[in-house]
Amino acid sequence: MSDEPEEELELTSSLVPFFVITNGRSLPPEHAYGHTTLVSASEHAATTVRTLTPEARQVLDLVMDGFLSVAEVAAHTRLPLGVVRILLAEMEDGGLIIARKPVPRAERVDREVLNAVLDGLRARFGA
Amino acid sequence: MNRDALVWCLVVVAALGVAATVVLSRRAKAIAANKDRSEAALTQRLSEADGRLATLRAELHQHRTDHAKTIQEAEEAAEDSTKAVLKGSARFLQSLAAEQLALLEEIQRKYGGHSVLGDLLEVGHANAQMARKAQGIAVMCGAPLGRRSRAASVYDVVRSAQGQIRNFRRVEIMQQTGFALKASAVSPVALAVAELLDNAASFSQQGSPIEVTFQRVQKNLCIVIDDAGVGMNDEERQKATALLSGQYRPRLSQLGNQPKFGFPVIGLLSQQYGFRVDVTGVSRYGGVRAVVLLPEELWTEEETAPVNEAQPVVEQPGVPAARPEPVARTAGGLPRRGARQVPIASVPDQDTVGLPHVPAEEDAGRAAGRSLGAFQRGTLSGRNLSAAPSEGSDDT
Repeated sequence: MSDEPEEELELTSSLVPFFVITNGRSLPPEHAYGHTTLVSASEHAATTVRTLTPEARQVLDLVMDGFLSVAEVAAHTRLPLGVVRILLAEMEDGGLIIARKPVPRAERVDREVLNAVLDGLRARFGA
Repeated sequence: MNRDALVWCLVVVAALGVAATVVLSRRAKAIAANKDRSEAALTQRLSEADGRLATLRAELHQHRTDHAKTIQEAEEAAEDSTKAVLKGSARFLQSLAAEQLALLEEIQRKYGGHSVLGDLLEVGHANAQMARKAQGIAVMCGAPLGRRSRAASVYDVVRSAQGQIRNFRRVEIMQQTGFALKASAVSPVALAVAELLDNAASFSQQGSPIEVTFQRVQKNLCIVIDDAGVGMNDEERQKATALLSGQYRPRLSQLGNQPKFGFPVIGLLSQQYGFRVDVTGVSRYGGVRAVVLLPEELWTEEETAPVNEAQPVVEQPGVPAARPEPVARTAGGLPRRGARQVPIASVPDQDTVGLPHVPAEEDAGRAAGRSLGAFQRGTLSGRNLSAAPSEGSDDT
């Protein structure tokens, strides 16, 4: 075999892949932990810090003093939003954080339906 | 008369007897001489035959040695050429897998907010397993391992290994350590641990735990892997020890139809990078206890920054000397938000902060964070959070 010097392959991907950080858990349902959902550490979170993964601890550190939005947590940890949502779901299950959903947007009512109702009322009662 | 006749008769008989005796003794002598002659001839022929046999034996031996040598040479040549062929392919696979891992990570970041992320994470898992196989084959063929340019905590190295096996959720890392592996040791140790974890997972029941702990023993750092499998018998232990120490290096052709790269790969790696692996222990579940023994040249006691952080961790708010700006910062160098009290200052303008060396990709993330922060501020001020916030209130 020839022994010419071989250039080594440089591994540029993260050492710990995202699916290990999430421990293979699936994404929480679509409506849970949206961008603007606010999360904060629960009262007894500080006692369990030592057993957490570094990423979960980082998230907990961020939300320790008050509420922070999910999107901001993602930006600060530089983890993909989905990964953060999985982490948050797990942490909420473990009682480490509390999440507060944003105020639901007023439902959009179809203008045509309203017009049809109005027309119907007019036709029936005259206006 | 009668007496005479009798005497004559006796004489004749005596004479005949003497004659017969003489004849017989002569014959006996002749026979004896004959026998001696033929014996001598036979002995000679025998010794000749013996001589020929010896030469033939020697020739046979010579032929056998030549034959064995030729076969060995042929095997070595075949091994070398097989390795050369495989090495080329393995390196190709290896670099492709590495490229794919990097690419996939980028895609996962890009579509991080999308539901497709769930599938992408699974693809990432499959890819990591493929990368391990490619690395293993490369090592068997004498190709260099892909290397990492940064030191990493032993905990993260084990997590990296964890991601390279199929049932990675069975692996539980029981503790975290401040010990860090030097950059050069990160890849080989991760691969060796991955092979050990894979072994532990394959030879124990589905669903049984695989526990990883760390221990410092004198000048060595140990990664201990306990499984709840069936354990090994003495013969298997001996074989494993020979493979792991690198004493016995099987040929590629000896690996069989379902090649078991694990131990040979670990043996090669441990010799090359100077660590030791032992699997003769018994775990507390009665399975195998595998120990990776890392000498002090391979690790340091320093804490390393978390994987995705390039900059040093500054936790305390308002560290005066090192940083001019009084804003608390996260490990990523991002301004840290002090919760609700100061929502406006949470995501300051980029111009006012002047971060040192910000990579381009970080800009995008921060811009996103900033716009979201603005959105957040809008929501907060809109809801006038100084008053007690009650969701969906209609008392206004």
